[in-house]
Amino acid sequence: MSVETDLEQRIGRVLIIGVRTSAVFLAVGLVLSFSAVAGPIADWMMTIGLLMLMATPVARVVTSMVEYLRYRDWTFSILTAIVLLELCGGVVAALVFHRRL
Amino acid sequence: MPVVTPILVLIILAAGTLAGVLGSTLGIGGGIFLVPFLTLVMGMPIGVAAAISLTTVIGTSSTVSAGRTGSHLINYRLGMVLEVATAAGSLLGGITAQHMNQHTLERIFAVVTVAVGISTVTRLNKRNIVKGDDIDCGRLGSRYVEEESGGVVSYRVKRVPLALFASFVAGNVSSLLGIGGGVIKVPVLNAWCGVPLRAAAATSAFMIGVTAAAGAIIYYGSGQLVPSLAAAAILGVHAGSTAGMRIGSRASARSLKVLLAVVLFAVAGLMLFRSLQ
Repeated sequence: MSVETDLEQRIGRVLIIGVRTSAVFLAVGLVLSFSAVAGPIADWMMTIGLLMLMATPVARVVTSMVEYLRYRDWTFSILTAIVLLELCGGVVAALVFHRRL
Repeated sequence: MPVVTPILVLIILAAGTLAGVLGSTLGIGGGIFLVPFLTLVMGMPIGVAAAISLTTVIGTSSTVSAGRTGSHLINYRLGMVLEVATAAGSLLGGITAQHMNQHTLERIFAVVTVAVGISTVTRLNKRNIVKGDDIDCGRLGSRYVEEESGGVVSYRVKRVPLALFASFVAGNVSSLLGIGGGVIKVPVLNAWCGVPLRAAAATSAFMIGVTAAAGAIIYYGSGQLVPSLAAAAILGVHAGSTAGMRIGSRASARSLKVLLAVVLFAVAGLMLFRSLQ
């Protein structure tokens, strides 16, 4: 199988799993937040849902990088690694802003 | 920070649904409608609106890209190359947005909205297509089977530095304003870089997930992302864009495009007015 077909299938799977699971957490959390059990559990579920959603593209980049490494395509392994580093930069920036709150 | 009430959540759920339907039928993403609604109608600061909108962009990008598996419309290699630039742009945009003046952001939004309006009315689908499957697509080009004709479409990518620059700007604007940025990438890829419109749109939609994630993470860290409102918007947009895709038929009617342009110009005017107050 070529790297493209392999990659396409794996990426599709990662994206759909990420979006669907996060949607379940968000929906349940949102409904709970307006019910009698509102409070930490509802907030916790929505936060997990949001974090999962934000992690989905990151997981997709990791999947691509692993796949390119497996096929020994060094140029694209490096390119995806750079994108991953940039996303990590986002997390670092987020932590810096968070500490200032 | 807006006070979260059940009514506000329901309003945002409805607004997200509508933005999702409009975004998917017009093929320009829902953020361009959602952000002005949240700021101009609901009176939220643009940062809070952008944070909510960015999370919906991640959802839409992921769902749409997963749905295209097997069509070969997404050019993964081109996408991975351009992502290096777009992620850098959105990282930078996410950081500068935290320091930028509210009114400056509103003015930038107005300018971008006018540009989107103009490009919607005048959007030209430049035929970059080389028929046949025996040509050399180069390192970044690709080929796919066109749905209507059943013929193989092949293309080469030209002017990669320009595509990288456009992706950087798109990433930047995306993080600053909470929109996807496809409105910048798609016309550039199509008009100057040799990519057929369909492939340009699919590849851009694929990249936007990474662009929006870099920005959304920063907004989340800076405490501007309200979880329950984001949840409502994400679920709304998800439902809306699924419905929109079912309705199908990418609106090509000229009158609809003109109507859209009028709405965008009005939004731009209101944003500008607000920024001057």
